[in-house]
Amino acid sequence: MWMSSICFIWGVFFFFLSLFMFYWVIYLMMNNIVYFLEWEVISFNSVKIEMGVLFDWMSMLFMMFVFLISSVVILYSKSYMSSELNLNRFIMLVIMFVLSMALLIISPNMISILLGWDGLGLVSYCLVIYYQNIKSFNAGMLTALSNRIGDVLILMSISWMMNYGSWNFYFYLEFMKNDFEMLVIGGLIMAAAMTKSAQIPFSSWLPAAMAAPTPVSALVHSSTLVTAGVYLLIRFNYLFIDSYIINILLLLSGLTMFMAGISANYEFDLKKIIALSTLSQLGLMMSILSMGMGDLAFFHLLTHAMFKALLFMCAGLIIHMFNDIQDIRYMGGISLYLPLTSLCFNIANMALCGIPFLAGFYSKDLILEVVMMSNLNLFVFFLYFISTGLTVFYSFRLSMYLMVGDYNLMSVYNLYEEDYVMLKSMFILLVMSVVSGGMLVWMIFPYPYMIYLSLNMKLMVVYVSLLGGLMGYLVSVMKIYSLNKFIITYKLSSFLGVMWFLPNLSTYGLNYIFLSLGGKMFKNLDMGWIELYSVRGISLILKKNSIFYNFFHMNNFKIYLFSFIMWMVMFLFMLII
Amino acid sequence: MATVPILGLKTHSQKVCSLYKRALRNLESYYDRRNVFRYQAVLLRARFDQNAKECDLRKATELLKAGEEELFQIQHPIPKKFAQSPGGVAFERVVTPPDWVLDYWHPLEKAQYPEYFKKREERKKEFIAMWEKEYGQSDKKNSH
Repeated sequence: MWMSSICFIWGVFFFFLSLFMFYWVIYLMMNNIVYFLEWEVISFNSVKIEMGVLFDWMSMLFMMFVFLISSVVILYSKSYMSSELNLNRFIMLVIMFVLSMALLIISPNMISILLGWDGLGLVSYCLVIYYQNIKSFNAGMLTALSNRIGDVLILMSISWMMNYGSWNFYFYLEFMKNDFEMLVIGGLIMAAAMTKSAQIPFSSWLPAAMAAPTPVSALVHSSTLVTAGVYLLIRFNYLFIDSYIINILLLLSGLTMFMAGISANYEFDLKKIIALSTLSQLGLMMSILSMGMGDLAFFHLLTHAMFKALLFMCAGLIIHMFNDIQDIRYMGGISLYLPLTSLCFNIANMALCGIPFLAGFYSKDLILEVVMMSNLNLFVFFLYFISTGLTVFYSFRLSMYLMVGDYNLMSVYNLYEEDYVMLKSMFILLVMSVVSGGMLVWMIFPYPYMIYLSLNMKLMVVYVSLLGGLMGYLVSVMKIYSLNKFIITYKLSSFLGVMWFLPNLSTYGLNYIFLSLGGKMFKNLDMGWIELYSVRGISLILKKNSIFYNFFHMNNFKIYLFSFIMWMVMFLFMLII
Repeated sequence: MATVPILGLKTHSQKVCSLYKRALRNLESYYDRRNVFRYQAVLLRARFDQNAKECDLRKATELLKAGEEELFQIQHPIPKKFAQSPGGVAFERVVTPPDWVLDYWHPLEKAQYPEYFKKREERKKEFIAMWEKEYGQSDKKNSH
């Protein structure tokens, strides 16, 4: 039964596909080969529409990670979605998502990128509204519409690229860097990537999308969909070097990183905390990318995908055990009841914090050291380091809430030992969360980065991490006489805890204006003046005239007879004269 | 979960009880350790008990109003909700539509599944016959 289930079949298929991709990565890297296949669909007036695929080590490596995470997520769904009536539909949606992502990854062409991009948006909408309750419908609409902005921007860049006669952006990046039109396209692409990667001001959809089932969150909203924007900008990276618009991205992504780190500290929903942590890491990727280091962003993208997917899967298991409760205030002491899940959760959390020799350490530490080396202004420098401290802060707080203390939900309980189907798939990612950092750093960087820093600068990361850990401990310890920090700083906390009111901006803020404007236009124009003068007015005039002419038409026999008699009378009269 | 009473007229004591319950739930959102929450809940109860013997209804109404205002001012932005309750994450996640929904299908919709609906009508008659056999016919006078 287990072997013949759809989850097992597709999970194993994707696992072997990822192994195959791994082989290809090694082959392409060792021989320094890039395969670029292209076939022409149509050509007219020197405009060519082509379908192309690009197989280089980067796309293959990303595909390998996507397939690996998909395979474990599908295996995991076997147990997590076991009570689901339409499991086949769910798995098919996940597979469609993975295929859209694969199309996006291997596309060197704007049109096929749009196909993959739109596929991601559409399928992610279907997956967010999977549990068809009001919360998920709202979240789905917010997700779909925020991503739709990105789709429109890509469509605009496609129409602008028609000037060049081809949509293979790959050929234009280095040669047309100083061309103003190419820069405009770059700006559009940048904004589109910001919507997909949920940077400020499009951030609010990512925590809302946590209404999706947890396996979907693990695959879609942590490691693949949201990294599509980063990946697109990595492909366009040459265009942005030395251009001024990238500074805007640097500022916005730095702010996103900071904002998400702070909001995660105020959040109580287990999945939303992890989503905000994803947002913070996306900000990190985007900001290092905007400093021109696409390889570092790609490296962090891959390591982050591993431990974040694992973190989500652990969260899913915990939520499963707690009967759909996601609020961490109900949880506590789970390390006693779910030891293996706690093990995975803590390792993933430590990898996220950048504890040495786990996956996150290699990428995050390198990024921070490069930031210190690159003479940035103090503001950006602080954004980076405070955000790093905040990462440890919220991770520590989360662990304290989940692992330490008493079970908070009910007085009689029985948390049973874990689900082995889920655990098996989690262990694959556990191994990857430990080894993937070291593995990738040997693969991606043939020459090590030269880092030259003073001792205190070098230890800065350790300082902020220790400070973050201490703060995390302090906020999660609650003594009977201690003052509630939330109530004391109520207004500030309310502002910081809801992502700087960003959800209000993209829900009530936008919807109210446009809905009320639409309502007024409907009332005054559609149902008012336009109705009176164009539709109803014209039809009234035509109706009146038609009735008037109809009078002659219906009485035509009499009129003919009458005119005939008149004519005869006139004729006789003329004859007599 | 505690909600604001909206339907019908409420007595003063009902309103106070409702405020007390909502205030407790709000405290629960802030103080997530059980012992700390209990301590705070006792303090809250003491505040309510202080004015429990208030006989002047004008003054009592003022106190209630002030209490409502205070609760509104420190309402937790992320209140603690049970997952399956209204406002919770899993509220109405699994909905089983009731059987009578099928009776309200449009005839055109029903026509797409002719055999099923034919059988359904037969089963309805069988069910009524079974009911009447077991419990007797309903009194015509009582039916609407």
